[in-house]
Amino acid sequence: MKSLLAFIKKETMEQLRSGRLIILGILFILLGIMNPAVAKLTPWLLEVLADSLAESGMIVTSVTVTAMDSWMQFFKNIPMGLIAFILLQSSIFTKEYQSGTLVLALTKGIQRYKVVISKTVVLAVLWTFGYWVCFGITYGYNAYFWDNSVVQNLLFSVVCWWLFGVWVIALLILFSTIAKSNTDVLVGTGSVVLVSYLLGLLPKLREYLPTLLTDGNFLIYGVEEAAIYVVSLIIALATSLICFVMSIPIFNKKQL
Amino acid sequence: MDMLYITGLHKRFGDKEVLNGLNLTVPEHSIFGFIGKNGAGKTTTMKAVLGLLKTDAGEIVVNGEKVVYGQTSTNRYIGYLPDVPEFYSFMTAPEYLRFCGEVTGMKKSENENRCRELLELVGLGDETHRIKGFSRGMKQRLGIAQALLNHPKLLILDEPTSALDPVGRKEILDILMAVREQTTVLFSTHILSDIERICTDVAFLNNGVVGVQGKLSEIKTKYRSKEYLVETEREADLLILQKTFPNMQQTGRNQLIFHESHYTIFDMLCFVTEKHISIVKIERTEPTLESLFMEVARK
Ligand SMILES: Nc1ncnc2c1ncn2[C@@H]1O[C@H](COP(=O)(O)OP(=O)(O)O)[C@@H](O)[C@H]1O
Ligand SMILES: [Mg+2]
Repeated sequence: MKSLLAFIKKETMEQLRSGRLIILGILFILLGIMNPAVAKLTPWLLEVLADSLAESGMIVTSVTVTAMDSWMQFFKNIPMGLIAFILLQSSIFTKEYQSGTLVLALTKGIQRYKVVISKTVVLAVLWTFGYWVCFGITYGYNAYFWDNSVVQNLLFSVVCWWLFGVWVIALLILFSTIAKSNTDVLVGTGSVVLVSYLLGLLPKLREYLPTLLTDGNFLIYGVEEAAIYVVSLIIALATSLICFVMSIPIFNKKQL
Repeated sequence: MDMLYITGLHKRFGDKEVLNGLNLTVPEHSIFGFIGKNGAGKTTTMKAVLGLLKTDAGEIVVNGEKVVYGQTSTNRYIGYLPDVPEFYSFMTAPEYLRFCGEVTGMKKSENENRCRELLELVGLGDETHRIKGFSRGMKQRLGIAQALLNHPKLLILDEPTSALDPVGRKEILDILMAVREQTTVLFSTHILSDIERICTDVAFLNNGVVGVQGKLSEIKTKYRSKEYLVETEREADLLILQKTFPNMQQTGRNQLIFHESHYTIFDMLCFVTEKHISIVKIERTEPTLESLFMEVARK
């Protein structure tokens, strides 16, 4: 337990001193502010552009913005947060393989699975924290400017998206224990997400794939029932767990 | 008791047989020099001992416990310094040592004391910078400190002096001398003068097997040179000697060397007495590790 905590502490210190923590912190805060800001500025932007639009024959009627528009922005922008997160963390294992820093820690007697757990915990906490900070900021502004109660399935839809992030991180961990370089990690993780996305275009498969969880917009407008999402939610949860469990024996046998 | 015991170790990389049935025994409280050319397989052997490398055959026993690849339980007896030690460069030296102590599960107060003591021993007591800016020698010294952290029974160092200047080398060798009471030291090198300076035991690794191993003094006796050097006072006497002993070779001014396989020392001495040749000195030439190494390597 002590060695696990020591390793988690080391990971946290690394996130902090390498600047990754700060970059991600700023990014998620900015994203959180951007969602309501863009929604708020849309009518004003249209007004500014009204004259030129009128010249080209378009009539701009006054638009009313609601919290809905801000939440739409949320689901449009949060992928940027996840992509930045994955890019920044893709070398969390491979950097240690390449520099050889794990060798000493392992010869000090820390069990290999604790290395996997530490890194997973730090990534999961970081993602969770960043994601909910972003959500919290958007929620706060929305409540201040408009009214969040017009939104349907709000909590469920954002939990779905959060879990999608967890699923991608689980893939990142798995590929990190298999691959040697962070390019391979990114290619592996990206491919699985892409395949899930492409298969999701087939109506028959859509409901069974984790990428469905990113379609939060259908939920908040009430276009789709929350119940449709439950299957892919369970599948994402299960595959995340499988990825994590598989990564331990793979890492145990890895030549360092 | 033997601290480390290796029998029949085999390891191949692709079709390259690096270790070919290596046997090695490291007695307790020795300073054991593991000698071999570059690429002989020293690092490979050490990694196998630490369970970091999968071997093809053979058995490794550390302090009576068998080493299993991928498992780290025997590593609790071992302190290890790899050939190129890599630390978390975002930490300072004390932070790194403390981290190592926590990883091994040391008590907090004990950890603090041990870290301070070791940093003092390796001369990094006042160092407050991050490891990122450390020189090769500083890293090597920090490496020894982390290896010694949990009072290992066996200290394994992979070429600890190879990349250092003479001052840095001396510092490392002095540290090793200082810890020999507490532990058994196994270190690899291709620098023979380091071995002569501190080792009690040596093993020569060549072609994937240990050619010769044992106490340094015994090996030196066993391989004691059978060559003699004679120096005469007058130059003319050289010719007289060479006429009777044609296989003597001149090596310097008034100096001849000869090998025991050609003439015995007693014949030579009789002759010298008979002819009243004035001698400046007669000596049996000391075997250097160099010549020993060459001899082992030739086999
Ligand atoms: N991971 C590896 N893959 C292929 N060959 C290797 C690997 N590691 C070492 N070797 C080869 O094994 C031989 C022994 O290497 P090593 O044990 O590092 O030698 P030493 O430490 O004595 O200089 C070398 O010829 C090296 O090229
Ligand atoms: Mg080596």
